[in-house]
Amino acid sequence: MSNSIQRVSVQSAYEDLQRRTLSGIPCDFARLIYLASTRDYNSGLYHHEGLAARYGVDEARQALQSTHREIFCRLVSLPLEGLVSELETYVRMSHEAPVGFIHAWEELEPYRVAVPMEVDSTMVQLFLSNIRLALEILRFRQEKDLACQPAASLQPSLGR
Amino acid sequence: MTLYLALVAAAAFVISVLLLRAGDEESEDRAVSGTHSGNRFGPVNGLQPAELASRIFSQKDREFILLMRSSRLQRLYLEERRKVALHWVRRISREVSQIMRNHRLRSRQSSNLNVTVEMKLFFLYLELRFLCGMLLLLIQLFGPHALLNLAARTGELYQQIGRALSEVGAVNRTASPGNIAAS
Repeated sequence: MSNSIQRVSVQSAYEDLQRRTLSGIPCDFARLIYLASTRDYNSGLYHHEGLAARYGVDEARQALQSTHREIFCRLVSLPLEGLVSELETYVRMSHEAPVGFIHAWEELEPYRVAVPMEVDSTMVQLFLSNIRLALEILRFRQEKDLACQPAASLQPSLGR
Repeated sequence: MTLYLALVAAAAFVISVLLLRAGDEESEDRAVSGTHSGNRFGPVNGLQPAELASRIFSQKDREFILLMRSSRLQRLYLEERRKVALHWVRRISREVSQIMRNHRLRSRQSSNLNVTVEMKLFFLYLELRFLCGMLLLLIQLFGPHALLNLAARTGELYQQIGRALSEVGAVNRTASPGNIAAS
């Protein structure tokens, strides 16, 4: 009986999280980073003040954990092109200069902490590998854009 | 005829060597995987093996990279996908071997072995191990592209073994002394 009550609470917490918090975040990649940030680095346990107050600590924890896994699976299922657009949206959202962002992410690999615990190891490998590729693709596009800019400025201005 | 036999023997030898090497490199993979556990036969914490294979061996991703017209990106892509594909094959191979070992140990104590199911299981296992060997060889030689069908078949076999094992488990449970006494 108490198990079924807990299940209902977890489900409510899950729906609440989707409706109130995650729907305001523009892309799955940003949602993944947000959910990973609700997890304690030392214990691996999730915590969300509002959800815990409304549905209980354990229920909130389970809702956060399952949503984190779900979004992670969605991102792994994306074609590489889709992941590049997700990352691009995330870079835009961060308001950082793209060059600096890409450099920091390639050096520090902060996306590693965005991986949920106890998920399939091959999925983790694929995700990390795809992020490395997506960063390289963004860098390539950046370089291409920069290479195009001086050429464009050398165009003769016909009106003068 | 002799040449044909020699070729078959050479292929079998190469595949055996690769499978042995796979065993050594598995520990490396496990270290890389860290705390992330692998799930068996199901999507409890992720995608089905066949779905995962279709992502790793995807042609669509390759076409996307080719559109960039950058040899650096193409090289990086090939290198990255090769690593992930090899990890996937080694994991499948390792898990199936371990599961079959456990099954063999349990079967020795079982009083009512179903020979047909056991034979089916054994041939599925042989086919899977052969495919894993082939995949390891081909991925290392040419990369994971154009191997989607082979990889999908491997993922399918992996799930078939899972289903066959649960059938065996169900038969053993039905015929277990406790159940007989209860009926």
